Amino acid sequence: MQFPAMTQMVQTIDRSPALRLFFGSVLTVMSVWICLMLLPTRLPGMALAGIGPNWLLIWVVIWSLKRSVWQGLSAGLVLGLLQDAMTEEHPTHIFSLMVVAYLISRLQKQRVLREDFIFITLITFGMAVVAETVMALQFSFLGTRTVVDIWRHHQLIALSSAILSSLWAPVLYFPLNQLWKWSQSPDA
Amino acid sequence: MLSVRRWWERFGTSTLLTGAAVGIALIIRQTQGSFLLESYQFITRPFYNSPDRTAQLENAQAQELQQRLIDLQNKNQKLEDLLGFTQAQKTKGIPAPVIGRSADHWWSHLVLGRGKKDGVELNSVVMSPGGVVGRVSKVSDNVSLVTLLSDAFNQVGVTVSRTRATGFIKGQSGDKAGSQVIMEFFDKNVDVRRGDTVVTSSFSTKFPSGLPVGRVESVDMGKSPSPEAVIQLTAPIAALEWTAIYPHLPAQTEDITPDPEPKNGQVLPPAEKP
Repeated sequence: MQFPAMTQMVQTIDRSPALRLFFGSVLTVMSVWICLMLLPTRLPGMALAGIGPNWLLIWVVIWSLKRSVWQGLSAGLVLGLLQDAMTEEHPTHIFSLMVVAYLISRLQKQRVLREDFIFITLITFGMAVVAETVMALQFSFLGTRTVVDIWRHHQLIALSSAILSSLWAPVLYFPLNQLWKWSQSPDA
Repeated sequence: MLSVRRWWERFGTSTLLTGAAVGIALIIRQTQGSFLLESYQFITRPFYNSPDRTAQLENAQAQELQQRLIDLQNKNQKLEDLLGFTQAQKTKGIPAPVIGRSADHWWSHLVLGRGKKDGVELNSVVMSPGGVVGRVSKVSDNVSLVTLLSDAFNQVGVTVSRTRATGFIKGQSGDKAGSQVIMEFFDKNVDVRRGDTVVTSSFSTKFPSGLPVGRVESVDMGKSPSPEAVIQLTAPIAALEWTAIYPHLPAQTEDITPDPEPKNGQVLPPAEKP
């Protein structure tokens, strides 16, 4: 007996652009939250040398693909602050995520690359390396570790994180892309 | 004025939303992410393993006891003549499940499912069967974040229990990042060999002295400026499921530092407490 009510509810939401936008936003926030909750986990198959995928990076990449530079940068700022909250504040994750967001949202203007599974995987791979490099540069300026240690560590982190993030990126890309298409389309 | 209004009509909502998102993120960051860690703890609650006492790595425990014994024997010899030496009282540990790891690859953290409500304090020492694991660096109501010994940021003063050669350990990167650390000695000529046990030293302000850390795996005497040794941590940090949290006991500097002697009528300030 619950199903007709639910169907009707879904139809109501589907018909109204405002409601769709509202539910789209709620689900977007939920997806960020899910990514945050995945960060401390090291599930079997999701970790390489004790390193897991960088879920927030994947999210920022997907978000920035079809958005303006400013929208990308704000997402980088917000998610950077959130990741700082989960770990340590110095050095900050804001810069790495904002650089990634900036690069991606500039890249879309060229429209040379198709959007598909391979594209998402490749671009996430590259951006994971960029993000970890920004972190390594910040560490180098902080001077709390020796430069040799930092860059040796960077090699391992950048490679593992890039491989895992790129492989898990499509898992996040397809639902989010569908969600944003649905919530932002002008008519039902 | 009109252009401002037009701009507002076009971008007002998105500016407000962005501002709200940034504001919320800032608030979460200012509260040390306790909301996020708490919700993580809440979600993963059904997945905790129950403490399986019998299956708990007995080998590691035996090693820990052996290390403690060797350390105590050596220390006893050195301290026999010292009067007024009081050993720190052993307090009961708070058992805590490991519910997560670091949310970033640059730090080595553990997320434990016990917090302020269970009596965990900042800087509490975290132990596991085998020895020291790390130190509580953030704590909220039900969760605490532990900085591990293997963290590359973390430097801890340690001593070789056989010869009392002192130095500090720092985290390593690479495949064995979680299980091995590098020890740098303070002296050029040190007596250390493979198999020696390493414990936290009394110079350490982060940990009480004498806690088992690991065994010397290899020594590089030619390393400049000072010799280095690779230490195998006895606590199985990579495979931890349960740990015990002990409130941090301040280092006993009274027994080590000599009494400050007033010179020329000047009164020296008392030794700084770490």
